[in-house]
Amino acid sequence: MSDPPSDDGSDAIHDDGQDVMTPAELIAKLEEAWLNEKFSPELLENRSEVVECVMEQLTHMEANLQRVKKGDAKASMHRMEIDRIRFVLSSYLRSRLQKIERFFPHILEREKSRGEGDPSLLSPEEFAFAKEYHANTETYLKAVALKRMPPNLQTVDMLKAVPEPCLDSFVFLRVKERQENILIEPETDDQREYVVDMEEGSQHLMRYRTIAPLVSSGAVQLI
Amino acid sequence: MDPSEVEFLAEKETVKIIPNFSLDKIYLIGGDLGPFNPGLPVDVPVWLALNLKQRQKCRIVPPEWMDVEKLEEMRELERKEDMFTPVPSPYYMELTKLLLNHASDNIPKADDIRTLVKDIWDTRIAKLRLSADSFISQQEAHAKLDNLTLMEINTIRSFLLDSLNCMYKLRSNLQPGSSKGQAMDY
Repeated sequence: MSDPPSDDGSDAIHDDGQDVMTPAELIAKLEEAWLNEKFSPELLENRSEVVECVMEQLTHMEANLQRVKKGDAKASMHRMEIDRIRFVLSSYLRSRLQKIERFFPHILEREKSRGEGDPSLLSPEEFAFAKEYHANTETYLKAVALKRMPPNLQTVDMLKAVPEPCLDSFVFLRVKERQENILIEPETDDQREYVVDMEEGSQHLMRYRTIAPLVSSGAVQLI
Repeated sequence: MDPSEVEFLAEKETVKIIPNFSLDKIYLIGGDLGPFNPGLPVDVPVWLALNLKQRQKCRIVPPEWMDVEKLEEMRELERKEDMFTPVPSPYYMELTKLLLNHASDNIPKADDIRTLVKDIWDTRIAKLRLSADSFISQQEAHAKLDNLTLMEINTIRSFLLDSLNCMYKLRSNLQPGSSKGQAMDY
């Protein structure tokens, strides 16, 4: 019987053909995306390239494990690792789906107004899900209530009916790249706005709106 | 976030084990481990260490900071200082719990360590509550939280963030109809 996969740890993965990542870095990227998605109030840009690479790694590893006989000590370690990665991956995708279900009209609206060439928030699969969810919600509302309403009340504006993500929520974050002059807006009228510098490695509590661009650029990590 | 998810993250930390079996180097997706030789200490992630321990295939070497004297010093410092003192590991609470629950026979003075870590935790959580209280009463917009661990943040997260959101809504006088989505755990 062949040895458990031994070449997987060493081969590098090409991310968009630009920077080369090791599988370990890839997993770290997935975990970052997972935590950011969990804690940000709005849907973040999709990271399908990371998801696809991780899926590829998992399938590859599982295919290799098929060839190993039962009870092999190494195989059980590999299986445990696969299960852990799979948990992060599904938790990540699930939290994105939850957000899509919660904010679908706004997400679809943003997708519509997106300029040519701008990266999409949704992966093609998520886009299909969002559209279908939208259609199903509308059909459902029509079937159970709307069609029995007086004619002038038979339409619902989803954009108004579904709450928007609250970008003013507070979030906890850790700084990965030093940032200077982050403007903190005052909470009340008698306070004044001020700026802070955020050192690398420091942790902060502040409004998501202030640091939203830094989350997408990867300069800060939500915790 | 669920505490078990924080624990999941803590399980990625490495710990030294002394295996009683031999095995070649193993190439996991997340990096290489081993080789394992009986009696020779080797670094492995906590999830693997606990699994091997449960199958009685290794002895776990407690991390350096998991020591009664060091923890006593930390406890005194934590009680003396008004600020949060640096912790020995970003997952000190989770690791203590995991290692003591599964490998207390490998850790000298396990009960003392449990009590000490709990004391440190209690002191820190008390500080955290105090600072959260002043954060809210002074209506601050920014707080620096160095040295706080994920588990500590997590104990206060949903309560603090929800309260801040509610207060924001009350202050900005939003109508219920136009209310924005509340902070939620995804």
